[in-house]
Formats: sequence, structure tokens, C-alpha cells
Amino acid sequence: MAAAVQTLDITKRFGELTAVDKINLTIDSREIFGLIGPNGAGKTTLIRMLTTVLQPTDGTAKIAGFDIRHNQDEVRRNIGVVSQAMTLDVELTAWENMELYAKYYDVPAQTRKDRIKELLDVVGLGDRADFTVGSYSGGMKRRLELVRSLIHQPKVLFLDEPTTGLDPQARSAVWEYLQSLHSRQEITVVITTHYLDEAEALCDRVAIVDYGKLMALGTTTELKRKVMGGDIVEAEVGTLPNEALEALKNSKFALEVKKRENTLTVLVKSGAEAVPKIVELVNENGGKIHSITLREPTLDDVFLSFTGRSIREDTAVTKKRFVSSWQGMRR
Amino acid sequence: MLSAIVGPFLTLILLGFAFGGAITHAPVAIVRESYGTVSTNFVATLRDQQNCAYGGVNCANAYNLIDVSDLGAAQLMLRRGDVKAVVYIPLGFDQSIGNSTVVTVYLDNTDPLSAAAISGLMTQAASQISAQVQISPPPDSIVTINLSNVYRDVLYIEFMAPGSLIQSIMFASIIGGGISILFDKQRGIIEGYLVTPLKQHEIVVGVLLAGVIKAMFSATTMLILAIIFAGVRPMTDVVGFILIFFTLFLTALGLISMMTAYAVRAPAPEVYQFTSFPINLILYFTSGAVYPLEGFPPWMRAMASINPEAYAIHALRVVMYKGAGLPAVIGDFAFLALFTGIMIALATAAFRRAL
Repeated sequence: MAAAVQTLDITKRFGELTAVDKINLTIDSREIFGLIGPNGAGKTTLIRMLTTVLQPTDGTAKIAGFDIRHNQDEVRRNIGVVSQAMTLDVELTAWENMELYAKYYDVPAQTRKDRIKELLDVVGLGDRADFTVGSYSGGMKRRLELVRSLIHQPKVLFLDEPTTGLDPQARSAVWEYLQSLHSRQEITVVITTHYLDEAEALCDRVAIVDYGKLMALGTTTELKRKVMGGDIVEAEVGTLPNEALEALKNSKFALEVKKRENTLTVLVKSGAEAVPKIVELVNENGGKIHSITLREPTLDDVFLSFTGRSIREDTAVTKKRFVSSWQGMRR
Repeated sequence: MLSAIVGPFLTLILLGFAFGGAITHAPVAIVRESYGTVSTNFVATLRDQQNCAYGGVNCANAYNLIDVSDLGAAQLMLRRGDVKAVVYIPLGFDQSIGNSTVVTVYLDNTDPLSAAAISGLMTQAASQISAQVQISPPPDSIVTINLSNVYRDVLYIEFMAPGSLIQSIMFASIIGGGISILFDKQRGIIEGYLVTPLKQHEIVVGVLLAGVIKAMFSATTMLILAIIFAGVRPMTDVVGFILIFFTLFLTALGLISMMTAYAVRAPAPEVYQFTSFPINLILYFTSGAVYPLEGFPPWMRAMASINPEAYAIHALRVVMYKGAGLPAVIGDFAFLALFTGIMIALATAAFRRAL
């Protein structure tokens, strides 16, 4: 199967800051591909280069076989983009927004009308087509942007944080539409997100990006297996003396032991066997366990193990990053 | 804070020098058909005035005399705005001294301030000559100045009106041109264009034409308002209106392109907003919109000579109040076309088809 997107050592530097650092990626046709990473990881910069609005400092990429440096026009004709910024004209109606873009992409006049109508109906905006976009809710605007990016039937669709700022209902509406689109049409979707549940629900494969580098690549199941190789036991502890922690770390069944506030996390090969052993060890060493659960690793665990921190700590991470970028311009 | 100082300061300097200056170096054509003693003395007096031969408080350098061989040619120059007045010493002037000897001064009264200054000096020169001539019995006046207004009287408010039309274009360029681009950029609308196959020049042409439409709408509205509320009476026919709108169009395209080029390259939207209004003040006050260029000090005249608004206002005045045709404004059009061409090229080059 031909590659829909192929990057070759693609790099973007802003002064001393390397936002994207020699990323090599191949995304297959018809894939839904996720780029995950915290804010400032370089996801948006990468997408902007792939969609020809930023020139790479080094390296290049091919989209549907066309080079982003030398065949920009062909690249543009083959991609649809929903960028992080809202790019709709709020003073125009949904129909006018669609029509303008149809003209930008030279969609023939005879098919234009039918296609706009069909697309607006699909996302449930058909009866609001003649309202100005300014009167739309956030979710409606996103859905409109989504179908506007499909007006010229692109081969590759880029979505940069498509559900950020949407309420859960609007998010699931966007997901649903993306899935149905993908099942109906020959289209490759590249999506960036820092919502791991989104990546897990939608994506065939994901790439973890941090500090501009590609940290991991694979299906979500593959990544989890690769990282974890077992189950996770999480316990809420009342007291946990150091001796108990040491005993756990020294035990044969525990692959990794972490304690954060009152949460004890132990990575084990087999959860069913490990749970009684953990309880026993803690009790023997004078500790107290309130509750204990066994769970499958989530993508968040994967992220944690590749980047050394949880993606959920987003705001804290951003703050830390500010400090580190001031200190060492590392990003 | 800075803009609270810059604006008033510019207004003080520009408006102060524009209004404070007496009319200087106004071109005046002289047509002489009689070469006797009195007329020679009269012309010599005029030249002394021009050259400030005796210095003193009355030395104003008010006009520059240009010799023209016949009255028809001189009047054509007056109509085209090349000269502000024509001094006509008719055949038989010297022979009829003491017997209704009249010098006629044709005045371009569409510029009321220059006309008043020139006619005052002419009358002064005439009474000086009359006092010198020794014949008895002494007549009331040897040389009588007959002031002849070539056009209907143009009120000061009408003199000012073309400047207001151009200023409404400038405001439309600053707001509808530059600021709306900055807004579109901020709102991401421009980023939306960048991922489409639209070419750089297509985006720029779209942006410029949108601005021109807004500017033409404002200027046309302004013209109608000036006619209704300020009593402005353009003395022109269909051709004249075509020339007026062509002038407005060229000016709008040029100024929109200029402000677009600036807006897309301004270091920050705030910088654009703070600086564009002083730019407007400078262009407006050095254009001759409120006071004739002849009243300007040399440095302001130099600025006017490269100010597109000055050419636009000149063209509008000539067409609106003198009913002049294309030949009278072709020079203004040439400058405006050159300016607009350069600015379009600049705007196209300045617009980055990338983030």
C-alpha cells in the first residue's frame, strides 16, 4: 500500500529552539494516525510543515507522493486541513464558507451545490446552512470546519486538536463523524491530540512526540505491550513504611514499583498472582492497604514511560517547560 | 502614551507650518503686449517684489513671474493649474497713460488664499507706480488693476472638500485595509487560505480589491455628504465625474496597497495601529488639503512633491472646480499610477504565503 505521508528527517528550528527534530514517519493510506504529545511538543509545527504553511528547516516530506517543498500546489490540492485556529469567516453563513472554499479548490460549479448540501447534512448543519457562523456553537463550528476541509475530496485529512475546547457531547459527535467518514471514503486521517482517550478510540496507530522527537510508534495495543509487558496493580495505601517499599522493590514478581502520595503502583507480569503477594508483603512490613485494583495499562501509562511524565499533568508540564526553555532553551 | 504626544506634535508642526506660511513662489504668467516706460517700470516693480530686491518686511517672495507670449496660452496654463494668475498688459497700454490704463489680472479663484495674496500684491505694485509717474494734472491712478476671476468663487469649504474625500480613502485603507488583515490573521482566516491552492497574487488581489471597494464606498458617501451638507458644487459633466472616480480609484488602490504592505510586515499589530494614524496626519497635512502648497516652507513642499495625496487632491480640484479635462490631470494620473504600481508590487512581495 502506498504511503499517504512520508517524512524524511523533517526538522524545524526557530532560532536556537528545535521544535521538530529529524522525524521520520510513514503513514499508510486509509490509516487514522494519531500524533500525541503535550502542548509544545512539536505536533502543530509538524502538521504545519506537512500542510505547506511552514517551510522545514531541514529534511522534507511527501504527501500522496508529492514533495512538500517542491510540489506545494499538488500537495495543497490533495490535503484537507482543520487547523487549531478557527479559520471560518464568522460573518458569512455556513453555505458561503463552504462555497468560498469550493471555489478556492476549483470544485466544478455543477457538483458544488450537491456536495455542499450533502456535507452539511451529514454533520447535521443542513437546516442551519443560511445562518451566519457567528451564531454557531463551538461544536457546530468544528463540524463545519471538518466538512469544509472535505469539499475537494482530499486524499489526506489533517486535524490539529480537533476536539480541544469542546464539551463531551460535541467531542463524541466529531469522533462519530470521523469514524463514519473513514468507513465510507478512501481517506487517510492524521490527527494530533493530547487527549489519550481520543487517540485510543480513533487511531489505528499513534506516534508519541515530545521535545520535537519521535519517542514511540505503533498501534495502541503494541505500545502498551512493548512498554508494560504485564499488568498494573494500583493500591490506595494508608501507611507504607520504607521497609515495605524496599521489600516490594526487591521482590521477584514486581517489575517496577512507584509511589505517589497515597497511590502505590506496581508493574507485574501477572496481576492475578501478584495481588495477594503484594497485600501480604505490605502487611508483613507494617503497612496498611485500603483498596487494591488490577488494571490493564492505559495509553497514559505508555506516555508516562516514554516521556517520564503523565500527559495529564499538562498545565504543570507547560509551566516546567517554560522554566526549562528559559534556562536551557530546550524544547 | 506615546501616541498621545506624537499625534498632537505632528499636528502642531505640520498644521502650524502649513497655515503660518505666507504664499510664496506662486507661479504667475505675465503677458506683455506694450513696451513703454510705465509698463516697464510696472514689470520691474513686480520683479523687485518677486526677488525681494529691497528686502524688508514686505519681502514675501510671493510669486514667480513666467513670461508668456500670448494671452490665450497663458489662460490655458491658468485653466490647467500651471499658474495661479495671469497678468495681462494690453497693446496700447503705454500710449493711453492717464486715460483708463488698465492691467488685467486673471485669478485662479478656486484657490482663494493664493488669489487673495496675489491680488493684494498686484494692487500694491500698481499704486506704487501711479505715485511715481509725473504728469499734470495728476490723474487719480495711472495704473489700474482690473481683477478678473476666471471661475466662480470657490468657498474655502469647497477648497477643503477634495482633501476630505482622500482622507476618507486613507481611513478606509488603515482600517478596512490594514487592520482587517491583522484581524483576519489573528482570527486564523489567513491561515485557512494558506493550505488551499490559492496563489500568492490571488490572495493579494483579493485583499486589495476588498479594500478598494470599501474605500470607494467611503469616498463616494463622503462626496455625497459634502454636496448635501457642505454645499460643495462640483462644476463638471459626465467626463468630469469619470475623472473624479478614476482619481479616487487610483488613490484608493495605491493607499490600500501601501497600508497592506505595511500591515503584513508590521512587527506587531499594536505597532501598526499606533503608527498608521501619524502616517495619515503627515500625508494629509502635507498634501495641500487645508492650505495651498504655495504657503508651505520648502521642506514641506518637498514632502508634498512625493505625496500621492497631493496629486490626487490637485486632480480633484482641477476637475471639480475648473471643469478641466484629461490633459489637465494627466500628470497627476501619471504620478498616481506610478505610486500605485510600486505599492501593488510591494504588497505582493511583502505578503508571505506562509506563517
